Amino acid sequence: MAMMTAKPDYFGIGSNKPPEGGAGVAFAIGLVLGICALGLLIGTILTSAVIAAFPSVKAWILLIFVVVALIPLLLIAIRIFPWLISWYYMLPAIICLLAFTVYPIIMTFGYAFTNFNAQNNDRPDSTTEVSIKVTGANTLELTGDSKLETLACRQPGCVNEPIELRSDAELGRPGKTYYALKAEGNIITLAPNQGVLPTDYTRVRRINPVANIGFGNFTEIFSKSSKQLYPVLIWTVVFALSTTLINVIVGLLLGILLNNKRLKFRNFYRSILILPWAVPGVISIQLWVALLNQNFGGLNRLLGLFGGLPIPWLTDPLWAKIAILLVNLWLGFPYMMTATLGALSAISDELYEAAEMDGATKLEQVQFITLPMLQAAFTPIVLATFAYNFNNFGIIYLLTRGGPAEEGRESTAQATDILLSWGFNTAFTGAGAQAYGLAGAVSVIVGILTVIISIFNFRAAGVFKEARK
Amino acid sequence: MSSPSTPMQYEQRTPVWRVVLNWSIVAGVLIALFFLWRDLSSRVKGKSFAILYPENAALNTLFGLVAIVGLVCLTSYIGKMIGQAARKHGKVSYLSVLNDQLTHVFFWFVILFSLYPIFYVVSASFDPLNRLTQATLGTSEEPLLIRSRVLPSLEGLSFANYAKLFDGVIIYQWQWLLLVISAIGVLGIGVVWAIVQQNGGGRADPNINRARVISTWVAILGVFAFFGTLTIDQFTGFSNSSKFLLWIRNTFLVSGATGVLTVLLCTTTGYGLARLRFPGRFEFLMFLIFIQMFPALLGLVAMYELVYRLGLTESLPGLVIAYTGGAVSFGTWIYKGYVESLPASLEEAALVDGCTRWTAFTKIVLPLSGPMMVFIFLMQFVGTYTEFLTANVLVTGAQNWNVGVGLRSFATGQFSVEYGTFAAAAVLGAIPIVLLYYSFQQVFISGNTAGGEKG
Repeated sequence: MAMMTAKPDYFGIGSNKPPEGGAGVAFAIGLVLGICALGLLIGTILTSAVIAAFPSVKAWILLIFVVVALIPLLLIAIRIFPWLISWYYMLPAIICLLAFTVYPIIMTFGYAFTNFNAQNNDRPDSTTEVSIKVTGANTLELTGDSKLETLACRQPGCVNEPIELRSDAELGRPGKTYYALKAEGNIITLAPNQGVLPTDYTRVRRINPVANIGFGNFTEIFSKSSKQLYPVLIWTVVFALSTTLINVIVGLLLGILLNNKRLKFRNFYRSILILPWAVPGVISIQLWVALLNQNFGGLNRLLGLFGGLPIPWLTDPLWAKIAILLVNLWLGFPYMMTATLGALSAISDELYEAAEMDGATKLEQVQFITLPMLQAAFTPIVLATFAYNFNNFGIIYLLTRGGPAEEGRESTAQATDILLSWGFNTAFTGAGAQAYGLAGAVSVIVGILTVIISIFNFRAAGVFKEARK
Repeated sequence: MSSPSTPMQYEQRTPVWRVVLNWSIVAGVLIALFFLWRDLSSRVKGKSFAILYPENAALNTLFGLVAIVGLVCLTSYIGKMIGQAARKHGKVSYLSVLNDQLTHVFFWFVILFSLYPIFYVVSASFDPLNRLTQATLGTSEEPLLIRSRVLPSLEGLSFANYAKLFDGVIIYQWQWLLLVISAIGVLGIGVVWAIVQQNGGGRADPNINRARVISTWVAILGVFAFFGTLTIDQFTGFSNSSKFLLWIRNTFLVSGATGVLTVLLCTTTGYGLARLRFPGRFEFLMFLIFIQMFPALLGLVAMYELVYRLGLTESLPGLVIAYTGGAVSFGTWIYKGYVESLPASLEEAALVDGCTRWTAFTKIVLPLSGPMMVFIFLMQFVGTYTEFLTANVLVTGAQNWNVGVGLRSFATGQFSVEYGTFAAAAVLGAIPIVLLYYSFQQVFISGNTAGGEKG
């Protein structure tokens, strides 16, 4: 037996020992990715075959086919490379991540270099529909009173224009894409070598292609940077820093006060004060919107009783920022308080007793024992809070929607917009005109900034060190 | 350490420049705050017609504050006297009693700040007239706090807002039965809890534990069976708000499915990363970490495109897909850390006895990691429950909304008019999560702090 396994195998075929070194890593990753790609390929072929046969089948059947195709592939692979078993523990997660996290990220980065938007989306434009009949192997003739102008080709004479052809039976479903060679009068000629043209096609629509525009989106962003990128970036950093600072200070204060074992009702206080944390943010932020209304919100009415004038919480650019900090404090202090209590419970009472013996006052005990001991436990929490708030889209969107409007700013980047909501506005709101390509470029910028912050964050929290273990 | 300790050694000597620096930072912050305050107050203009301004409000406020301080000073003195009388010998310091009482006063202010919004929304949910959010003020017969619409009037409260949410909803009898079964489960949990409390918190009895587990499962499965069998046909109301229970159902189904999927993916992956050593492990961990850094929201356009191409935009599975992808990294990292904290000797013994790795994992590690699986599930469940943005973009049609999107639809309309309905939906929508938080407090707290440390 020993004789048979003595000879090292470069690929680890039939062995339980994986190939070592950088090449081994590359081979293992390549093998895993290759199996996934093969599974995807088989799944795609099966899906298109099934859809061709049964047109009512939805495309998500692809997901099932990929899984079905992967099972025999994986069984074969494990026979050849028994060491691959370690990877099989992670394979479900790898497939899930590749499909639903990595793929969207790569696609988003790809969009950043295109003019993809609500109009240029590689889909047929329903306003350009023209009825036709197929008159030859490569020619279509307009029928009835339809005109070539309706098709509104972008190129003169529809040269190389992508168009979609459908039969009456296919209404409500996407048809097939063809490329036009030219169009004159009533005749559209298709480019050759696109397969046999079925004769039952009756409708044609122009497709708005997504075009590659290189760094155009980035130049647009940086040319208007004083109206959007810089103010938004500054507010994002100021917001993340100050909200973390405020929440930490309040949380520390409450935690230290509650840690006093002689304080009566401390458990009662603690369980009551956790309540804002327990209420789902998506609900509590929206109820604050009503509370902060300038004219009949509860907070201004309460202030009125004490002689305060109504504060324009959500309608003034500066006050809106204060309102966001206030609501985020309400949402966040219970977590900080609980974290403080958790960290404090790890400090031994003997330290305080010793300090008391030496005549230290309460304040000195906090300064020289509590705070230094808390520092170690709190550093990662503070960093995580900062990183979380840096992209805390929920509070901005639900409380102020990024507004109120501020003069001299783009409509997608208003007074309280953070980087993430700016990207979101660009892609999804009317103000941004659904400029997905531009939003992709914003995403790239935000993504890079976030990764830089996260690297510092994770380094300080020792995540990389833990991974190396 | 061995040197004789004299008081001199404890003295902190701060260099002069540090003192100067510290004080100039403090001064700088104060000056900045002053200018901020001036700017802020210049933006507050004029009174509002919908707000009540009592006469001499500022003066009364000042008097009130002085009165509170005086009262605390007085009660502290009484407290000191009582304390001293009870203790017979030894002195009770007045300042420490004052300190204690001030702390209590402070906490009550914080509680007011924390609970006022919740109180506000709960009371608004019982008021079909939406008096809290309307411009009209109360009549002069009403007490000041009610007249000013800071506190709700107790007259005319009803369940009308809640009734709107269930308008035209038909629930079959056997579905009621499922709810009753679930309620029995909840009751069982309560009874077990009471018995444990009676016995002084001991958990040793296996029968008690079994009863706890069984009643928890009955409660959970009852709720999920109820929501799982609700169909769109049972909602015959015309308004959007009558679909509320459907939103809850959608949210429960999506959150539950996401939670289960996440646990399945994270446990195997986390175990593999914790226990197996193979080339590529470090690279995979790095991949996980970097994937986690990229905000999922930024990939939403592409995610929509993917879901659209798969034909899942008008259904819930598309949402499950989107949420699960974003959750794997965090859960895996947490579970990996947990497995590493378990002693490896147990599995090694099993491996020596001829177990395979997989059976060692399923038979030894999985049963031990129940609390961690509960934590990962709960985090994912709560996170998905409160998510609204992805749902807003990916899913169309009021029958497919989740709670967050549904609530948002009230807020974007005529908020002051619809506030009662919003409030009722908010209260009902928040209850499941609040209950989860309070029943699994320990899990949330310890897990969240661990999560913070792990990023």
